[in-house]
Amino acid sequence: MTDDILRTTDLTKRFGALTANDEITLSVERGEIRGIIGPNGSGKTTFFNTVTGFYEPDGGSVHFDGDDVTGWKPHRLARRGIGRTFQIVSPFKNMTVRQNMLAVQTEDGSSREEKRDRAGEIMEFLEIDHVADNEARGMSGGQQKLLELGRVLMLDPELVMLDEPAAGVNPALESRIMDHIHDLNDDGTTFVVIEHDMHVMKTLADSVSVFDSGNHIAQGDFEEVSQDESVREAYLGGTTAEDDEVPI
Amino acid sequence: MTDAVPFLDRIPGARRYWYVGIGALLLVWPMVFGNFWARIGIGALMWIGLAQSWNMIGGYAGYLDFGHGAYFGIGAFAAGIAMVQFGYPFLVGFALAIVVSAAVSYLVAVPTLRLTGAYFAIATWAFAESMKQAALVTGITGGTFGLSLPRSPDTLIGVAVPFEIAETFFYYAMLALCLGTMALTYYLFERNEFGYRVKAMRDDQDAAESLGIDTTRVKRQVYVLSCMVAAVFGSVHAWYIVYIHPNDVLAPIITDRMVIMALLGGLGTLTGPVAGGLLVFLLERLSSVFLGSTTFYLPLIGTLIMITVLFAPSGIIGILRGEVDRGDVRRNVKELGEKFDLL
Repeated sequence: MTDDILRTTDLTKRFGALTANDEITLSVERGEIRGIIGPNGSGKTTFFNTVTGFYEPDGGSVHFDGDDVTGWKPHRLARRGIGRTFQIVSPFKNMTVRQNMLAVQTEDGSSREEKRDRAGEIMEFLEIDHVADNEARGMSGGQQKLLELGRVLMLDPELVMLDEPAAGVNPALESRIMDHIHDLNDDGTTFVVIEHDMHVMKTLADSVSVFDSGNHIAQGDFEEVSQDESVREAYLGGTTAEDDEVPI
Repeated sequence: MTDAVPFLDRIPGARRYWYVGIGALLLVWPMVFGNFWARIGIGALMWIGLAQSWNMIGGYAGYLDFGHGAYFGIGAFAAGIAMVQFGYPFLVGFALAIVVSAAVSYLVAVPTLRLTGAYFAIATWAFAESMKQAALVTGITGGTFGLSLPRSPDTLIGVAVPFEIAETFFYYAMLALCLGTMALTYYLFERNEFGYRVKAMRDDQDAAESLGIDTTRVKRQVYVLSCMVAAVFGSVHAWYIVYIHPNDVLAPIITDRMVIMALLGGLGTLTGPVAGGLLVFLLERLSSVFLGSTTFYLPLIGTLIMITVLFAPSGIIGILRGEVDRGDVRRNVKELGEKFDLL
């Protein structure tokens, strides 16, 4: 029997006539790195937003670590252990990096000093401690991505959901971000990652879920899904590819 | 954008001497300069405190509150009604101002803080206007006749106090309230994680929620707190000027001044409302006293607002920190618009 940390059952989200997520049933095993891929508009970010409480689902349920958390507010889910980042990086730009970290609210009963120590450790781990007292607005895009990850780690989350962590990041920094994700995963943190870069996905994810037109059409390891006919259909619109990999 | 070292930090120990000097001057002000300058001091301290109260919700939280002046009026009438209609001493009226403003602001906060940007501004403006109209037709507020408050020595706590309730007393009362407001702002918004959460909510509400911050609760807390501070000043002001009328203490210009003072001084900063409050109040009062014109300061203020919005969105405090960008007007205007969710 698998130990699922996240399970959605028939999760549905509609915007008027558009069904952005159509009865998505998906399980994420504790300790894995799950990739989510799919063409633009396939419902990946809507899925993130519905799971993390930013959208009220129109049907179905979300279970996290055994609890039914369907319809919970985002802050409550964050305190319960689900951390997330956004497609467009969103630092609190008028605050320093350290203040960004300390703004995070947890319910773990840690003292002010403990929280400061933890912020220091995380900044050191992510190698952004040298800019701790600089305003976040002055950081590079890549550093802002690291800060965003750092803030999420302040929640001490069991599950981290990353929306395109490698987008707009130079190769060196991308490699650093991926190393951090692997290190955290080795320590037991589960990840769900949306990513368009298939090379990143191939090296990062233990398993991949494929979305298309609001449906969860395939799941398996990267090689399996890249051979799947429905996945080829989704990406190529029915054209037969000569090579064996998903050509994106 | 240039990074300049503040003037006081260029001289070793200068900051400490500056604070001691300012503190000493504030303490001896009414005794040294007499009643006229004591009255100027009372007004300046009150407006600094009011600008700071608006800065809590407008500057730190990013909600463009155009109804904040209503709480100044609610505080004034709470004290007035307690003293005139029920014969209670001022301290009861003072406590009533805190309780009533907290209750009213919470009731207003629940529906209006669901709105943002211009919609919130319009909703709060409408609330303030409705308060003024209600006060004009309600018997307990004195309606169009207003209320005249008693100011004998026994009206402070119910038994006669051994000092005069006059300019010097009100100067020190306003000084205490103003310093208390500054200390509260410093502690809550600059040195406390609560302040970080408020600023996080202002910068990106979704990101703040995703980090465990209950933004609904935080913005209600800031709104109620800022309204209570405005009401406290309103209650002391009512007793000081003795006669209150809805057209005066519930006038829209009270909110307008708070907004202008915070904007000119520097939004979301501790010292911005001090600089902005002093500048606007002194320009208005001194041009009225020495030039005999009650409107001379208006075009000056208008020009200063335009300069601030276009070139120095961080206000006077930003200018003193060297944060002036003459080259990127579009970015400056955008930055200010984003602060209030107007774009």
